[in-house]
Amino acid sequence: MYIKSTRWLALGATALCLAGLACTKDLTVQPQSQITSGNIFNDPASYQAFLAKLYAGLAVTGQTGPAGTPDINGIDEGFSQYVRGYWQMQELPTDEAIIGWGDTGLPELNTQTWSASNPFTTAMYARIFYQVALANEFLRQTTDAQLSSRGTSADVATQVAGFRAEARFLRALSYYHAVDFFGNVPIVDESFDISKLPVQAKRADVFAFVESELKAIRGSLPPTSTGNYYGRASQAAVDMTLAHLYLNAKVWAGTDRNADALASASSVIASAVTLDPNFPHIFDADNNTSPEMIFSVPFDGVHTRTYGGTTYLIHASVGDNMDPAAAGIDGGWYGLRLRPEAVDRYTGYPTTTDTRTSFIQTSGRTKAIGSIGSSNNGYALLKYKNVTSGGAVGSNLTFPDTDYPLYRLADAYLIYAEAVLRGGGGSRATALGYVNALRNRASAGAITDAQLTLPFILDERGRELLWEGMRRQDLIRFGTFSSAGVWSWKGNVAAGTTTAAFHDLYPIPSNELSANPTLTQNPGY
Amino acid sequence: MWRTVIRGVLATFLASAPALAQTGSISGRVVAAEGGAPVVGAQVTVVGTNIGTVSRDDGRYSLTLQAGRYTVVASRIGFARDTVPGVVVNPAATTTLNITLRSAPTALAGVVVVGYGTQQAKDLTGSVATVTTEEFNTGRVVSPEGLIRGKVAGVEVSDNNEPGGGVSIRVRGGTSVNASNEPLYVVDGVPIDIGGGSVGGDGSTGLGRNRNPLNFLNPNDIESITVLKDASSTAIYGNRGANGVVIITTRSGGSGPQVSYTGTVSGSRVVGGPNMLNAAQYRAAVQQFAPSNVASLGTASTDWLGAIERNAGGQEHNLDFSGHGETNVYRLGLGYLDQNGVLIGSRTQRASASLNYSDRLLGDRLALRTHIRGSRSLDWYTPGSVLGEALAFAPTQPMYTAPGTYYQYRDPTSGALIGLAPNNPLEDLAYVQDQATILRSVGNVEGEYRLPFISGLTATVRGGYDVNRADRNVFTPTNIASQLKGDSATRGSIARANHDELHTVGDVYANYRNVLPRLTNSTLDLTAGVSGENFNGTYNGYSANGLSSNLLGLNGVPSFTEAHPGVSVVDHVLRSQFGRANLNLFDRYLITATVRRDGSSRFGEGQKYGTFPSAAFAWRLLEEPMLRDRLPLSDLKFRLSWGRNGNEAIPCNYCAYGAYDVGGPNAQAQLGNVFVTTIRPVAFDANLHWETTTSTNVGFDIGILRDRFTGSVDYYTKTTHDLLFNVPTAAGTALSNNVLTNIGSVRNRGVELMVDGKLIDGGARGFTWNVNLNASHNNNELLTIGRPGVTSIQTGLIAGGVGTTIQVLQPGQPVNSFYVYQHKSVNGAPVTTGADTAMYIDQNGDGIINTSDLVPFHSPAPTWIFGHTSNVTWRGWDASTTIRAYRGNYVYNNVASNLGNYSVLTSPFAPVNLSASVLQYGFTRPQYLSDLYVEDASFVRMDNLTVGYTFDRLAQLSNARIFGTIQNVFTSTKYSGVDPTANINGIDNNVYPRSRTFVGGLSVGF
Repeated sequence: MYIKSTRWLALGATALCLAGLACTKDLTVQPQSQITSGNIFNDPASYQAFLAKLYAGLAVTGQTGPAGTPDINGIDEGFSQYVRGYWQMQELPTDEAIIGWGDTGLPELNTQTWSASNPFTTAMYARIFYQVALANEFLRQTTDAQLSSRGTSADVATQVAGFRAEARFLRALSYYHAVDFFGNVPIVDESFDISKLPVQAKRADVFAFVESELKAIRGSLPPTSTGNYYGRASQAAVDMTLAHLYLNAKVWAGTDRNADALASASSVIASAVTLDPNFPHIFDADNNTSPEMIFSVPFDGVHTRTYGGTTYLIHASVGDNMDPAAAGIDGGWYGLRLRPEAVDRYTGYPTTTDTRTSFIQTSGRTKAIGSIGSSNNGYALLKYKNVTSGGAVGSNLTFPDTDYPLYRLADAYLIYAEAVLRGGGGSRATALGYVNALRNRASAGAITDAQLTLPFILDERGRELLWEGMRRQDLIRFGTFSSAGVWSWKGNVAAGTTTAAFHDLYPIPSNELSANPTLTQNPGY
Repeated sequence: MWRTVIRGVLATFLASAPALAQTGSISGRVVAAEGGAPVVGAQVTVVGTNIGTVSRDDGRYSLTLQAGRYTVVASRIGFARDTVPGVVVNPAATTTLNITLRSAPTALAGVVVVGYGTQQAKDLTGSVATVTTEEFNTGRVVSPEGLIRGKVAGVEVSDNNEPGGGVSIRVRGGTSVNASNEPLYVVDGVPIDIGGGSVGGDGSTGLGRNRNPLNFLNPNDIESITVLKDASSTAIYGNRGANGVVIITTRSGGSGPQVSYTGTVSGSRVVGGPNMLNAAQYRAAVQQFAPSNVASLGTASTDWLGAIERNAGGQEHNLDFSGHGETNVYRLGLGYLDQNGVLIGSRTQRASASLNYSDRLLGDRLALRTHIRGSRSLDWYTPGSVLGEALAFAPTQPMYTAPGTYYQYRDPTSGALIGLAPNNPLEDLAYVQDQATILRSVGNVEGEYRLPFISGLTATVRGGYDVNRADRNVFTPTNIASQLKGDSATRGSIARANHDELHTVGDVYANYRNVLPRLTNSTLDLTAGVSGENFNGTYNGYSANGLSSNLLGLNGVPSFTEAHPGVSVVDHVLRSQFGRANLNLFDRYLITATVRRDGSSRFGEGQKYGTFPSAAFAWRLLEEPMLRDRLPLSDLKFRLSWGRNGNEAIPCNYCAYGAYDVGGPNAQAQLGNVFVTTIRPVAFDANLHWETTTSTNVGFDIGILRDRFTGSVDYYTKTTHDLLFNVPTAAGTALSNNVLTNIGSVRNRGVELMVDGKLIDGGARGFTWNVNLNASHNNNELLTIGRPGVTSIQTGLIAGGVGTTIQVLQPGQPVNSFYVYQHKSVNGAPVTTGADTAMYIDQNGDGIINTSDLVPFHSPAPTWIFGHTSNVTWRGWDASTTIRAYRGNYVYNNVASNLGNYSVLTSPFAPVNLSASVLQYGFTRPQYLSDLYVEDASFVRMDNLTVGYTFDRLAQLSNARIFGTIQNVFTSTKYSGVDPTANINGIDNNVYPRSRTFVGGLSVGF
C-alpha cells in the first residue's frame, strides 16, 4: 500500500506540475506595453529620444502632455512645470509681479512667508534634481563601454558624444538654478553610487561644479542655438549661464568674478546673435525666429503642451477687461498682475515714450493692490502672446506656440554694463552704447555717461527684463530683496515691510531633509 | 495527556487500515418534511463520537464508523434538529437512514464555509460571521454588499448612493494607505480581484473605477455571505487576506422541482441635499458684497439642483427553476433589474443568468459541482460636470433664454461665452452621452473525489474563470457651451474604452478527515493544496477631438483633428501552496494551524514569495466535565488566534520593474526644427515586497437558554508592516521625487460585540421577535511613515485651490486625519473675520500663518459602528428593520468650503452661487483649510423597514408573499452636507444625492 501511495503521490505531483500550479516557477512577468531597460537601446534612435526627454523636462510635465503620467508627483502636474516654477520663484516675491490665486502655498510666494514645506519650492527642487538624475542616467547609459557592449556604430557613437555634452549642459543649467535658489545642495553626478545618500556641498562648491562643467563642454557645442540647434545647448547658452554665474559670484561663492562675467558676456555679444529691432517679437508666438534669442525653452500648440510654461504665463496674465483673443488664447485665468512699483519704474507713466510700457493693461483696473485676491487690483501685463509678429494666432488657443526666452541678447548687454560698473574692466563707453541701444530700441531716450550707475542698471533691468524671470536674482545681488527694500505686500503687509535676510535663500524642502537626513537646512528655516 | 494525544494523532495514520475491517457505515438522504426536497448542507453527527458529515447537494450523506449502536443527529439552518436514537451499524455493512427535517426559521449556526472547505460553526477557532438569506437586507439591493450592511460587527459598508455605483467595505479598519483596503471576495471558490493593479490596468481610462465590481452578481442568487475577519481564518487566503475575506455562496437549489418568481417595483426620491443660497438670499448677498455684479444678476428664481433631479422608478424580476434528479440537483436563476437614478441621466440595467448544477458520479465517489453565471449590465452616467454646475449656477439666472435655448454666462458687452464660468447643467444633461456595457461571466467546475484505500481522504480539483468585457462610450457634441469655449479646432469629442480581462484559477487540494481512534470525540482534519491564478487584461481605448459632425453621435467617428489611441496589455500571475490542520481533541480543545506560501509577479526579484502562517486555539469550556452542568449556559467557547497575512493589491502590476515610458505626441521636445518623441526611464523600487499584517484575536462565544440568546465578544489588534508609501527620494538618487517603497506601519485595534436572540418566541405561528445587535469599536493609528524625520505626508485633494489637500498621514494619528488651521475662539465662538493671523492659531508662534501651522484634526473613519436588526413574525405577517449608527466619523464639507465665501461673487468671470455656510461664517475669501468645514458626521439611520404577508394557501401556489420595503427611512445627523457616509475618504464634494426608496413586491412559488 505504501508503494501504491508513493506512486499516487508522484503521479499527482507530476500532474500538478503540468497544470503549472505546484512547481515554483519564475514569476517575472515583463511589462508588455512599456519598453524594458533590457531592449530600449537596441534601437539607436533611443539615444536621441532620451536626450529629447532631458530637454522636454524643461517644457512638459510628463509623458502624456499637457497632463498625465507626470515625472514628479506630490503636486498638481501643471504647477510642477519647470519654467512655471522657475518664473514664479524669481518673480512673485519681488516688486514686479503678484498672483491672486489662493492655492495652498502660492500666497506665501507673494509675501515671502514660505516655509520649508511650501509645495512650490518643493516642486522646483524636485524638478531641478529630476533633470540632474535624468542627465546622470543618460550619461551612465552612454559611456564608451556601454556603447561598445551594444555594438554601436561609429556614426551613432559620434552623435552620442555630442548628446553627452548637451546632457551635461542641461545638468549644469539646473545646478545653476539650484545655486541661485537653494545654495547648499548635494552634487550628484553620473559616477555617484545612488544607493548611498548624497553629501551636501557648500554653495561655493556647487558654483565651482557648474563652472567647471560648463567650461569642459563648451568646445563640444555649436556656437549658437540656431537652425538644427534651436532650443538646444550652444556656446552662447554656456556663456550666458557663466555670465550670470560670475555676475553673482560675490553672493554665491564669496568672491567677485566681474571680469569673468564681462568676458562671458562679451563672448555672447560677439556671437551671431543680434538685437531684434521688433521688441514685441521676442515674446510672440513666432519668437523662435527672433535673432535676439540666445537660448529658449520651446513650446508648441500641438507637439509640446503643458499647463506651465507660456501657457501659464499668457493665460494667467489675462483677466478683467482684457480680450483673450488679443493674447491669442481662449480665455484668461485672472491671476498675474504687476506690482505698482514695477509700473512706477517707467518714469512718468502713463506719459512716457518708452514703448516697453505698451504691454501694460489698465482698463478697469487700479494700479494699487488693495486686495491680492481681487483680480482687478493691479495693472496687467500682456508681454507674452500667442500671436505671431505678423498678427496670426498660434496653432492652438489653449496651448501657445510661444517659446520661453531663458536668455536673450539684451540681458548680455546689461550684464556687460553692470560688470564694467562693478570693476570688471571693459569699456565704459561700450557699456553706455549697449544700454542706449536698448533704450533707443524702446524709444525711451538715451542716457548720459553720468546716468550710468549701478542703481540705474538695476532699474533698467527691471524695465527691459520685466517678467523675464530675473528679478529676484538681481535684487539679491543688489542687496534689496529681503532685509532692505520695501514694496507692496512684501512681508504680508499691504504697504510692504522688510523681511529677514535668510529669505535670500529658499529652504531645502522638508521632504528632502527627511529623505536625506545628512543635509542641513539653510539658516533661518 | 499530551502523550496520548500524540499517540492518537499518529495512530490515525497508522491504524486506519486495520480499523477498516471493523467498520460499517450509515448512509441515506436528508429531506425536508414540507415537500420532500433534499436538504443540502445538513450536519449529520453521531452522538458520543466526533464523527460527522454534511449532506450533499442531493441530500445524501454517508458516515463510516465502528460497528455499534448510535444516536444520529441531523441539523441545518432553517430546520429543527432531528435526533434518531438506536441506529445499529454492523461490520462491513451499510445501514440506511433517511432523515426528515421540519422547517424552523431560526438562525442557528450550522456549517460555515471557510477557505477550501467547510467547518461546523461550533468548531470554529477564528472570528467568522455568516449572514444567510433570511437575514439579508431587503428592498432594492443592486449589489451583494448591500445585503449585509449593518449586520456584521466590524464590517463597514459604504456606497456612493448611485444605483450600481461603487461600494467600499472595511473589515476591522483599513490596513493600508496606498494598496487596497478592500477585502478579497470569493464567489463559489473563485477569488474576484477588485483591488490593485488588475482592475482598469495601468494607465487605463479608469473604466469601472466608480462602479461596483460585484454588480455582475444578482443578490437574489446568493445563499449566504461569510466574512472571515481574523488572520487565522483568512490566512488560508494569505496573499490577499489582510483586509478580510468575504465568501459568497450562491444558491444551489435542491428542493422541487419548483418554479418561483419574485418581482418588485420601486420609487426613489431625493432626501436632503447641499445647502445652497436660494434666489432671494443670493440676490441679497450680491447686492451687499458685489454691487458691481447686480446688473448681471438676473431675475429668475431657479432651483438648479431640483432641475437635474427626478423621482426615479425601478423594477426587478427574478425567476428561479430548481429541482433534483436521482443523483443531481440544479438551479437556474434568471434576473432582470432596471433602476433609474435620482440624478437625471443615471440608470443601471442588468440581465443575469445563473446556473448551478451538481451531480454524484462513480458510485457516489465523485461529486461534480458547476457554477456558471453571466450578466450584461448597461450603465448610463450623468455627465460628470453636471452636479458641480448645478451647485454653482446662480439661482437668479433662468434655465432657458428661449424655448430650447439654454441660458449661459456671457460677457455683457461682447456677448461671448465666459470661459471660466460654469456651463448650464441642463445643456450637458441634454447632449452629452456617457454609457457603458459590461459583459461578465464567472464560473467554475469542481470535482471532489473520495479516494479509495484511505478512508476520509478526498481530492478536489477546481478550475474557475472570470471573464469581463467592458466598454464605455462618451460623446460630447461640438456645439454646446463647454466646447464652444475651447479652441475651435478641438470641439466635440468621442471617447471609447474597451477593456477585456480574463482571470483564471486552478486549485488542487486534498482533504483528510478522520476520527482519532483511541481518543474519544477527537478528529483530525488536514487540507493541503496548490493554487494558481493568471490575469490578463487588454485595455484599448481612443478618443478623438475636433469632430466635423455631430450626426454620428456615439456610433461613429467623423473627420477629426486630434486622436489619442491607447493600448495597454497587463499580466499578473499568482502561485500558491497552502495547508491547514484542524485538530479537535475531546470536543473540547480545537486547534487550527495554517500556512500559505504565495508568489506574486507584482513584486521585485527575490521578493516575490511570502509565507503567511497562522495558529488558533479554541476551548469549548462547557465540554469540561467540571463545568458542563454547573453553568446556566448552553455554549461557552474561548478563542485565541494569531496570524500573518499579505496584501499584494498594490497600485500597479509593474512597480518593481525597470522600464521606459514612451512619450505621447503632445509631449515632444523641439530639437532644432523637428519635434522628437521622448522616452523616460521609470523610477521604481526593485525590492518592492508584500505589505504584511500580523493580527491577534481573543474572543468568547456564549449561548444561554439553549442558545435562544447567543453572543460573542472579540478583541483584536492588527499591525501592518512594510506599508507602501510614495516616499520622497534623496535628491539625485532616483528617477522621480517619490518612489513607491515598503516603509511604514499602521495598527488597528478594536472590540466587537454581537448578540443574537429570540426575544419573544411564540412558536410556529405565534408572535416571534428576533433581535440582532452588533457594535464595534476600531482605533486606527499610523505608527510610522518612513524614515525617522518624516513627519507627515499630505493627501486628500479637494476642490478649490489646485493641489490643495485637506488630509495628512502623520505618525500617532489615524490614517487620513484632516489637517487644518484651528480657529481662535472668543466666548466659545470661532473667530471668522480679519486676517489669517487674527482668525487662526499660530501654532509655531512665528507670527505668520502658513503650512507649518496646520494640525491633525479627527478622521473620516468611525470609531464606533452599531447595527441593529429586528425580525417580527405573527401568523402570516412578518416585519423587519435594520438600524445603523456611526460615531466618531468626520467629513470635510468641500461644497461648503469651495463655495462658502463672498469673494466668489466678485469674480468677474463667473458670479456663482454660494453655500449657505457663508451666512454662518461670513468668510470673504476662501478658507479651504478651516477646521469649521470638518464636521462631525455621526449618525443614526434606519436603513431598511420591511413588512410582508405570507398567504397560507392561495390557489395552486406552494407559497405566496407580498411585501413592502422603505429604504433609508430616516437619518439623524448633525452633518450639514449631503450624506454623512457617501464617501469613505471623508471628503464630501458633489456626492450623488441620497434618496429614499419605496419598494413593493411579491413572490410566488409554483
